[in-house]
Amino acid sequence: MVKRLYAYKDLLFVFIWREFLIRYKQTTIGILWAILQPLSLMLLFTFIFGVVLHTNHKDYPYVLFFYAGVLPWTFFSGSTNFAVSSLSSNFNLVTKIYFPREIIPLSGVAINLIDYLIGLLVYFVLLIFYRTPLTWNFLWLFPLMAMLIVYTTSISFFLAALNVYYRDVKLASAFLLQFLFFATPVIYSIDTVENRWKTLLFLNPLVFIVENMRRVTIEGRGIILWQMAVELLGIIVLYLIIYRIFIRIERAFADVI
Amino acid sequence: MSSEPVIEFNNVWKKYSKQQVLNNSLREELVSIITGKKCREDLADGEFWALKNVSFVVERGECIGLCGPNGSGKSTILKLISNVTFSTKGFIKVHGRVAPLIELGAGMHPDLTGIENIYMNGTILGLSIRELKNKCSDIVEFSGLSDFINVPVKKYSSGMYLRLAFSIAVHSTADILLFDEVLTVGDQEFRDRCAQKIAELIALEKTIIIVSHETKMLDLFADKIVKLEHGIITTGYA
Repeated sequence: MVKRLYAYKDLLFVFIWREFLIRYKQTTIGILWAILQPLSLMLLFTFIFGVVLHTNHKDYPYVLFFYAGVLPWTFFSGSTNFAVSSLSSNFNLVTKIYFPREIIPLSGVAINLIDYLIGLLVYFVLLIFYRTPLTWNFLWLFPLMAMLIVYTTSISFFLAALNVYYRDVKLASAFLLQFLFFATPVIYSIDTVENRWKTLLFLNPLVFIVENMRRVTIEGRGIILWQMAVELLGIIVLYLIIYRIFIRIERAFADVI
Repeated sequence: MSSEPVIEFNNVWKKYSKQQVLNNSLREELVSIITGKKCREDLADGEFWALKNVSFVVERGECIGLCGPNGSGKSTILKLISNVTFSTKGFIKVHGRVAPLIELGAGMHPDLTGIENIYMNGTILGLSIRELKNKCSDIVEFSGLSDFINVPVKKYSSGMYLRLAFSIAVHSTADILLFDEVLTVGDQEFRDRCAQKIAELIALEKTIIIVSHETKMLDLFADKIVKLEHGIITTGYA
């Protein structure tokens, strides 16, 4: 991918810059939205589970618990949501000018990554504010982020390409994302799930990523290496397959879009 | 000047489908990944040939005019040259960078200002950011829109919009320029300026392909006029 995109790096950069500009054009608080969105979602969950339902998750603040889950989830759902219609809504470019098509969904991943990084700063502020004892294990956060980015990119490519052929994808993906939200430990912890269900849940790479992001930062625990190896292998294989198919069918996009 | 072919079409056929949902094409592509076989070359239901056995050669520095009625395959030829789509049969060789000025302003975004759109559209046409930094003032000057350059283009009139798009397009550094019906843009004064710019580009030995209904325009610039009808070249290279 790097080799293919190198000649078009300026175009990729301009696409990211464009999406970023469009996003906050004619808004008054601009980039603050990047902080506000995950923050308000986290507060909502804190209210529902802490005040209304009184569920007991862990022995640390709800605020941290939910925020740690909301951040990667927002990145994933934001990117894939952007990707689904990204190619089909840019059909006037796709049918007229050649450039590697993955640039369009990739720019969506990139702007969501910017939001994610801003949210991460807020996360660190919260961690310090609640005096969470950090251990060196929190460095695992970065490989986990890399896995999340690769996985999100693969799913984005997949949905974007499929939506070129079938517009059903856009309709289905809204529903699927909702479904996936509950299959990802954003509002619960995998520790509270029975063992026989755990294996099933771990088929979704987001489960491993989100759960461990919380563990390595708030709880200071390490990760289980063999699980990491399996998940990593799965994510890489998935990426290679999807990208290969993407390149192959990309040639036909202009004709079918 | 040595004759150096930059574009070669060799017995090119191009198939299109009239169907709305193209399940078959995705299935075919996927099957061809696994089996390594090429796609079918015959016509299935609802498919038609947009180009039938088209062959021609364009040499460096030539200016070719393509004309013909709607649906005769002019735009398909431009799309094949610019790599947007691929031929069903036959082969195509293109040497050099192509700037497809096929539809002006395809990459423009209404919320962005004129200057932001210059960068957006310029990179889409294959210019690098550095080249654009150097050329930006030239582009603005050529468009004659310097008073409006920091205004979002959604507030432009359609004439202003096309002027900006055309100005970006003609500042491309590509070796091969494709113009599709774009020369009917703007008022007389701007059109004269465009004509002058094209003459300059021809003098720079750029290869140019112009598609137009206006044969007057084509007579003015084109070294050779190619007429197309129903996907077949009738005059020019026939």
